[in-house]
Amino acid sequence: MAKTTLENLKLGIFVILGTSLLLTAAYLIGNRQNMFGGTFNISAVFKNANGLQNGNNVRFSGINVGTVNKIEMLNDTTILVYMSITENMKGHIKKDAVAMIGSDGLVGSMLINIVPGAGVTPLIEEGDELESVSKIATQDMISTLNVTNENAALLTADLLKVTQSLTKGKGSLGRLLNDTVMASDLQQTIANFKYASHSANKTLSELNGMVSTINFKESTAGVLLADTISARKMRQTIDNLEKSSSELEQMSKELNSVINGLNGKNSFVQYVSKDTTLVFQLERTMQNIEQGTARFNENMEALKHNFLTRGYFRKLEKKEKKNTN
Amino acid sequence: MSDSSPNALVKSKTFRRIKHFFVQIGDLSYFAGRFFKEVFSPPFEFRELLRQCYQMGVLSLFLVGLTGFIIGLVLTLQSRPTLIEFGAVSWMPNMVGISIVREIGPVITALICAGRIASGIGAELGSMRVTEQIDAMEVSGTNPFKYLVVTRILATTLMLPLLVVFGDLIALYGSALVENIKGNVSFQLYFNTVFDALNWGDLIPATIKSFFFGFVIGLVGCFKGYYSTKGTAGVGIAANTAVVMASLFLFIVDFIAVFVTDIFYEL
Repeated sequence: MAKTTLENLKLGIFVILGTSLLLTAAYLIGNRQNMFGGTFNISAVFKNANGLQNGNNVRFSGINVGTVNKIEMLNDTTILVYMSITENMKGHIKKDAVAMIGSDGLVGSMLINIVPGAGVTPLIEEGDELESVSKIATQDMISTLNVTNENAALLTADLLKVTQSLTKGKGSLGRLLNDTVMASDLQQTIANFKYASHSANKTLSELNGMVSTINFKESTAGVLLADTISARKMRQTIDNLEKSSSELEQMSKELNSVINGLNGKNSFVQYVSKDTTLVFQLERTMQNIEQGTARFNENMEALKHNFLTRGYFRKLEKKEKKNTN
Repeated sequence: MSDSSPNALVKSKTFRRIKHFFVQIGDLSYFAGRFFKEVFSPPFEFRELLRQCYQMGVLSLFLVGLTGFIIGLVLTLQSRPTLIEFGAVSWMPNMVGISIVREIGPVITALICAGRIASGIGAELGSMRVTEQIDAMEVSGTNPFKYLVVTRILATTLMLPLLVVFGDLIALYGSALVENIKGNVSFQLYFNTVFDALNWGDLIPATIKSFFFGFVIGLVGCFKGYYSTKGTAGVGIAANTAVVMASLFLFIVDFIAVFVTDIFYEL
């Protein structure tokens, strides 16, 4: 009987211990999945779930605060993810917090990271929808890398062609690499360049010296460079010059028109220059006028000696004498 | 003339074996049906049940614990180099935790129990059958099925899940010990990571599966012992076939359990 009691005691301990261990394990696992205690639900919309599953962790600033409850596909680019967050986080997560899908290490399971926002906004409430940021998925990175690889392959193929051409001495660069005469020419050119640059340097230093010797305060150059009043005057002068040039232009135009008038068919000059009869007549007329004036002079001399008019002329002579004295 | 040809002989032997197999399955099904019929009908043999629970549960604990400890230790030691190669040694608790709780713990514990309990039941009931104790019980008015079979099957069914819990815990402790010595991982961090990795979807199916494992061990052991024949040689055959058949059935049940769990996961 005593043996049976001891056996039963041992069995009792075994059963109770085993059952309590099982229940403790179940509680610990459930507790980590937020199955016990108060929780509240929030959601976030993503374009790509990146392999997220129900039960994946939700982290806020690196602390596990909840789990993914449900993943619902709204349409081909919108995935609504419901999260169950522990009640005591209600006082910490604000409405402007941002949710993003990440992974727990390089080979870890997916999770949602909630990052605190920047602004001061009210605290989160049951049923709120967080903003989300879609990180670049590994697949996208791989596809980008694929394109890069293809480009790299093309580049290397081209480079191979270039290097082959270079080694065969084709093209300017190939010749540059392989042609020894050209190399010596280049050497000579470089030496010349060196000499030229040396001379340029020397010239520049001389110019520097010249510039430094200019008295900027007193000289014309100095005035030109520094005096603003002179500059204004210069500008005035240039304006005037411009004005004068425009006036000159106008004048030249007018002169042109005059000259054109003179050169016209019916102009006096044309008439005189082209009509020889008129010229001849004019010459004769001039001769007649000369003759007429000579005869008029003779008549005047005769008048001076005429008794009727002599008195008048003598008066005039006297008046002249008076004036000269 | 045609009966003596080797082909016909093989044919007839194979046929007999196949027939025997189906007969065995049929008898086993009938045996299981009788168990379910008897288990709910009074009188209930509580004392015998408790004695069997002690025999099968408490007395198996040391064996199961030792096996679990060694399994945890070896699994961690063997996995370490590979995980270090991949730079994923920090995932050791997750890997060991999930594999032990989901599969290795229940299966190893069940196999140990199949070896220890099924053979024990087979030999015990077989010898009782051979020495006509069972017939004597029937004559004396005691229901031998209720007293011998129902109590044993119930005991294995109830004790195996508890043994699995202890086995898992000790295996995890063995794994944590290696990690603590080799990887400077504290026990707290190790068990935190294990519980982080686990969820109810790992623990509950494994526990339910353990009930079935216990049932199979008890059922096959009792069946083989209860229907053992051919004198004293039959006792040895009963013990032997009980272990082999129980182990085989365990893997079949395990396969079905994993299959069903997988369907539930997908849902």
